[in-house]
Amino acid sequence: MSTDRLTIVLDRLLPGDPDAGWPAAGALGLADKARQMAAERGDADRLAGIVAALPADFDDVSEAGQVAALKALEADQPDAFDLLILYAYGVYYTDPRVRDVVEARTGYPNRPPQPEGYELPPFDERLLDKVKQRPPFWRRP
Amino acid sequence: MHATADPHVDAVIVGAGAAGAAVAWRMAKAGLSVSVLDRGPWLNQQEAANSRDDWEWVMCTDHHPDPGIRKAPADYPVTADDTPIRPAYYAGIGGSTLHWGAHFPRFHPSDFKTFTLDGVGRDWPIDYWDLEPYYDLNDQIMGVSGLAGDPANPVRASRAMPPVPLCAGTQRLAEAADRLGWHWWPSDSAINLDQDGLGRNCCNQCGPCGMGCPRHARASTDITYWPLAIEAGVTVRPEATVGRIETDDDGRARSVLWRDRDGAWHRQAADLIVLAANGMGTPRLMLHSTSAAHPNGIGNRSDQVGRHLMHHPTALVSGVFDESLGPPAGPFACALYSQEFYETDRGDTGAMRGYQMQAIRGQGPLGTALGGYVTRLDWGGDHHRQFENSFQHTVSLTVTTEDLPEPENRVDLDDRAEDAAGVPAARLTYRVSENSQRLLTHGIERTTGWLREAGATETKVTALSRQAGFHFLGTVAMGEDPDRFVVDPAGRVRDCPGLAVVDGSVFPSAGGVNPTSTLQANALRLADLLAGQTPMRRGRAEARDMTT
Ligand SMILES: Cc1cc2nc3c(=O)[nH]c(=O)nc-3n(C[C@H](O)[C@H](O)[C@H](O)COP(=O)(O)OP(=O)(O)OC[C@H]3O[C@@H](n4cnc5c(N)ncnc54)[C@H](O)[C@@H]3O)c2cc1C
Ligand code: SF4
Repeated sequence: MSTDRLTIVLDRLLPGDPDAGWPAAGALGLADKARQMAAERGDADRLAGIVAALPADFDDVSEAGQVAALKALEADQPDAFDLLILYAYGVYYTDPRVRDVVEARTGYPNRPPQPEGYELPPFDERLLDKVKQRPPFWRRP
Repeated sequence: MHATADPHVDAVIVGAGAAGAAVAWRMAKAGLSVSVLDRGPWLNQQEAANSRDDWEWVMCTDHHPDPGIRKAPADYPVTADDTPIRPAYYAGIGGSTLHWGAHFPRFHPSDFKTFTLDGVGRDWPIDYWDLEPYYDLNDQIMGVSGLAGDPANPVRASRAMPPVPLCAGTQRLAEAADRLGWHWWPSDSAINLDQDGLGRNCCNQCGPCGMGCPRHARASTDITYWPLAIEAGVTVRPEATVGRIETDDDGRARSVLWRDRDGAWHRQAADLIVLAANGMGTPRLMLHSTSAAHPNGIGNRSDQVGRHLMHHPTALVSGVFDESLGPPAGPFACALYSQEFYETDRGDTGAMRGYQMQAIRGQGPLGTALGGYVTRLDWGGDHHRQFENSFQHTVSLTVTTEDLPEPENRVDLDDRAEDAAGVPAARLTYRVSENSQRLLTHGIERTTGWLREAGATETKVTALSRQAGFHFLGTVAMGEDPDRFVVDPAGRVRDCPGLAVVDGSVFPSAGGVNPTSTLQANALRLADLLAGQTPMRRGRAEARDMTT
């Protein structure tokens, strides 16, 4: 069975890095979710349109050829390409499996900001010792 | 068209945002009957998406400040083909404060007198000390954390709460500013840091304030002014879209026509009609409300309505550090600022007036990848390396420049689209002036140096932030000269008795800082004048400052 073109596109945009543990976006099976997210925002046709605007032989050329085709499309239709990037990065970085990798690689916890929030030490006024020496320098009308 | 007559009130206010809320409360306290109409709904911030797994997606889409991306039902159409800066606003009870960053600086005294001091722009008909008591009053109601004593500004009253904490990245900036011998100071922030204060929860440093604050720590007028205004008797009507200001044969404003959520029309008559629909929405309504007495739109006899649009053209420079700075903790827009280059120093900047540099904390994973305010990460083979190098390794500085009023920069109408009430789209026509460009160039160089001094190994420059059209100022300016200023110093529209403007439209000049504390302080002052009250006494800080 031939691979869905959006899956190939996602794999070229976010190809993964096996050494660091980053999965490729297409291989995660995110194409359908990306289409669903686009449909929820009334962008289904635009997303399909930008993928359809790739050359007819896109699926069959080498990976390097696919990257070149995407670069040409980006140069030719930057706004439409922005939309493709929105859905590609959007579906990837909201996927829990990717968020687990983010946590493993960076320590950023895989949870939303609320309700826990984060801890920061209170502002330390001693940091201002030097600035406080400065006389007022606002301009008097 | 059939329109149901609402009971007559002393004042009807169009717009329930930062300015409308302050004016409604103040007028009701003065004994006026007040009704408020806003095209947007009430929002429940306790349900804000910060607690959802897909919070970043919501932030990039349904809660995006740009109406062209967000596509919310309450938004009105905006044509932004002829401006490099996209509009950012929000429609709802609370207006754009529902989405704002809550950075709460004040104007400097010089900002009110740019023409007298520098021969550019337009003086305000008042000065800093006229506004000072209103700044203080507004601070009490919004709830401000920070620290008095900033040498870049006049003495001000103690802040109610201590400053918002710094994070690893912003602390590096503070230390680097000291090494450079530059000014910096912790931000005044309209954010609650007191567990027991204000009836709101304490900020827990979650980060993305722009989505709304489920803890009600970040002030927005739906949770600050509106409960007080409603208690004082104000009627607030959400999802009430004003389509026209109606005038009588003599040209006096008598009523507004508004459309409810079901499409039914109403007529609200009032002794005073107050526009607080922001610096884009207010001129849009005035220009649309043509009649025999006002053939070019209300107040537009001299073709001044909508002109002199001022934003704060903003550059953003991000510093990337080798070491991790930790999770993006703390309110994203509130940490510290520098006003080292705020006052005019033409020999240094090559420009008149100046700019503020404001620290912006890091973003979440998707925000980092997509960029938003900064450049997005490349797609392809290098993406994952770039992500690891940037995410939790970045802190940014804005260069927020003072824009000068230029008549060609404007809001007018675009008949090609209209909202459900039949009001045409607002059209923005805007160029960054040479003066603002010089300030941006200077600021990019200085912020780059600051970030390098802080230890950044790479800096990324967004020379003009496209998504930074969140301040709409000066489009219906107030002043003494009837030929140049559409409204008088009390906010009254000169050619149209019974109509007043109280939002950022009336700013003669824009300052180089975020405008909302000044906008609300001025709105409170105008409310007093419009309600026939004696204005509050000029600030006492003047005497203290003059002795320093
Ligand atoms: C993303 C973002 C971040 C910001 N951050 C900061 C910050 O950190 N510090 C700062 O000082 N400022 C900030 N601002 C700006 C601040 O929000 C505005 O200065 C302030 O809200 C303007 O107040 P206003 O009352 O003039 O307008 P708004 O608050 O925009 O309110 C106007 C209201 O009018 C309503 N309206 C418009 N037209 C009609 C109509 N025809 N009928 C009925 N109702 C109508 C709208 O629905 C809206 O609710 C930010 C803004 C945004 C968008
Ligand atoms: S950082 Fe603080 S003020 Fe901002 S949304 Fe989170 S809890 Fe609220």
